[in-house]
Amino acid sequence: MKKSTQLPLFSSYEYDSRFYDELFKNNNEVREIYKTLFKLFGEYSVSEFNRLNNQAKESFFNLGITFQVYGSSEVKEQIFPFDLFPRIIAKKEWETIEKGVLQRSKALNLFLWDLYHSQKIIKDGIVPLDLISTSVNFLPQMKNLDVPEGIYNHISGTDLIKHSDGNHYVLEDNIRCPSGVSYVLGNRNAVKHALFGVFNKYKAQTVVDYGSNLLEIMESVKPKGVDNPVCVILTPGVYNSAYYEHSFLAKQMGLELVEGRDLVIENDFVYKRTIFGLEKVDVIYRRIDDLYIDPLVFKSDSLLGVPGLFSVYKKGHVSLVNAPGTGVADDKAIYTYMPQIIKYYLDEDPILNNVHTYHCSRKNELQHVLENVDKLVVKPVDESGGYGISIGNKLSKEEIEKVKETITANPRKYIAQPIMALSTHPTYIEESQSFEPRHLDLRTFTLLGKDKDFVLKGGLSRVALRKGNLVVNSSQGGGSKDTWVLK
Amino acid sequence: MLARVANNLFWMGRYIERSEHLARYLNVNYFSSLDAPNEISGSRQFVLRSIMYMAGNEIIDSKVELKEEDVLYNVGLNMDKPYSILASINNAHNNAKSSRDIISTELFESINKINHSVKDYSASDFVKNGLYDFTLMITKSTSELRSKIGSTLLHDEVYAIIMLGIYFERALQVTRIINAKYSDASVEKAAYGELSVNNYQWTTLLKCVSTYDMMRRFYKKTPTRNSTLEFLILNSKCPRSIKSCLNQIHKYITILSKNRAIPTNSAAFLIGKINAEFDYKLIEDIDDNLEDFISELISNLILIGEKLEEDYFKITDTIAKIENKKTQAQTQ
Repeated sequence: MKKSTQLPLFSSYEYDSRFYDELFKNNNEVREIYKTLFKLFGEYSVSEFNRLNNQAKESFFNLGITFQVYGSSEVKEQIFPFDLFPRIIAKKEWETIEKGVLQRSKALNLFLWDLYHSQKIIKDGIVPLDLISTSVNFLPQMKNLDVPEGIYNHISGTDLIKHSDGNHYVLEDNIRCPSGVSYVLGNRNAVKHALFGVFNKYKAQTVVDYGSNLLEIMESVKPKGVDNPVCVILTPGVYNSAYYEHSFLAKQMGLELVEGRDLVIENDFVYKRTIFGLEKVDVIYRRIDDLYIDPLVFKSDSLLGVPGLFSVYKKGHVSLVNAPGTGVADDKAIYTYMPQIIKYYLDEDPILNNVHTYHCSRKNELQHVLENVDKLVVKPVDESGGYGISIGNKLSKEEIEKVKETITANPRKYIAQPIMALSTHPTYIEESQSFEPRHLDLRTFTLLGKDKDFVLKGGLSRVALRKGNLVVNSSQGGGSKDTWVLK
Repeated sequence: MLARVANNLFWMGRYIERSEHLARYLNVNYFSSLDAPNEISGSRQFVLRSIMYMAGNEIIDSKVELKEEDVLYNVGLNMDKPYSILASINNAHNNAKSSRDIISTELFESINKINHSVKDYSASDFVKNGLYDFTLMITKSTSELRSKIGSTLLHDEVYAIIMLGIYFERALQVTRIINAKYSDASVEKAAYGELSVNNYQWTTLLKCVSTYDMMRRFYKKTPTRNSTLEFLILNSKCPRSIKSCLNQIHKYITILSKNRAIPTNSAAFLIGKINAEFDYKLIEDIDDNLEDFISELISNLILIGEKLEEDYFKITDTIAKIENKKTQAQTQ
């Protein structure tokens, strides 16, 4: 590790040459693309920067972009941590990412259609049957159901990392209800307000067009026979941790934000309860998990959903975004087959790399995993949000034994990957009053509709705020930063 | 607009307006009592009781000794008391939050900021020396909110519902304030006779409703019982008179019921009826029997509130209506 600079805001910046640092090259020189930005940050005194940082934090607080922390006696509101140092992605680099994530989303969509119809890919021996038949996320109710316009994953969130070799790798695909897009726009606003001077010197692609594109996508998958579809967003309610995002998207698109109790099924159609009586609803962007959308078909004790919704969906009288049952394809075990899946449906080579993955369900690979737990990341295949992950080099001997036992007890539930060296990026750490390198990834947002697709230019760069930590999920104490894709 | 959201917005309007009246009542009564002209109106117990009455938590037992700090804390910043200003602002905020997709970002940001500053207001400072500062902050905040409502929202049915809530609450609160001060005046009258009451309670009453300056301009005379009541109940130019409130309520319910049938006994019908009655009311009609007039007015307003709920906000009722229509269709 070496000190990089004497500048006040970078006094504690010690980068680790084992990782790809996005700001500094190995010879301590600032990378070309960051030079202007670095010069600006270099001019700030610590107190000047603290003031900007606090103003930005205050604006998040006032806008209510917050979550609740339950203490022993009172509930406190906190903002989602974010960082003012934007991440920059060069035009060419982005073009590859954009093509790559779009390719994956399209392949996943075709894969889902196939899985819920004739299952050719299984018959052809590309993907093993037991991977699907043992998946808890495969919804038999979706079998042979022709989803509107053949689209399952209208919205996909693909998580990418930049490895020490300088290449991007896909960490996972999220095609259930990927969240975080509101922070992309929130971060952009905060950075624009705080650093407007430097914005003039970089030509960054806009991110505000996400809402209008999502609305177009939603309208494009309207049920048959509907001319002007009424679209709504379905939220679990104000107590949901992503409620801000739900209301934000509703406002961006000018749609109504409804709860399950606002909807009712009459004569095989979905209606919302308005002050003037019932009004028909055609397309629902639901931010409620599959199993909670309809108590008559799935979890019967769900109060969040709408009784009868699924039968209306089955009749083609309402469109759901995303379609139920997509979880089977963003399973971490399916992930390892992505190169083959892309090849099978699109006859293309994958544009983005997969991280090499060991399936504990395969005997010889299981053996390798059990022998190398200390060098691997072990993940449950069907969890999200960073839960249940063990990172080998952080474990004690006893913990390693425990992980081994857990895997042996249920090998199908686990996959393992080499510990990836996530790139580092300058992140302001309040305790040291200095920027320090922290690991980060990138969640991109891809939209698929009828004859239309869209990739949000940039996405959410998620930072692990704790030193050395590799898990960036917000539920694990991660923050985020604005991401500029240059024109 | 969703029935649930309409209900939230109506109550957001009501709670914003309620906070303001509570804050002003607290401020005006407390400070005017400090140099009151006679012993009763200057007495702590008398003022504290009046404040509790206004907050909707009347202390009937005359033996109870009220503690100033407790009353101020309970009415101002006690989250556990549903009648406190803090609870009222918090309710306005919660209602705004569950309809934040349709109110403007500007309005939500304001209400969110205000909620934070009220929540963070130090209770010990407030009871010791913050009464003036705090109540002023509330009245300033509510006028900021009203301005955001007026200037950052589309003037459609969303706006109409919020305004309906605001004027409905104003009509109710002004009526209650008249009632409270009228009863204070009666106590003094019993003790000192008609003359001694002179204009002290009427001036306080006008100030509580923020109408003192308007009233002086209109009558150019010291307020008396009659002119005060006439001004507060029947003056259509005073934006805080009951007549004005009813006018506004009528205006906004008309927006909501536009192009729709108005069945007898619906909220729109009742509002139209009471509004029409007020058009031809004279102070002489009220004067002899103010108590009856006020209690009738309050029960009318409560009835209207119930009808509004039935006609617009009740989620189950919209289903009932459909079911009703269906059975009608079947029998035809």
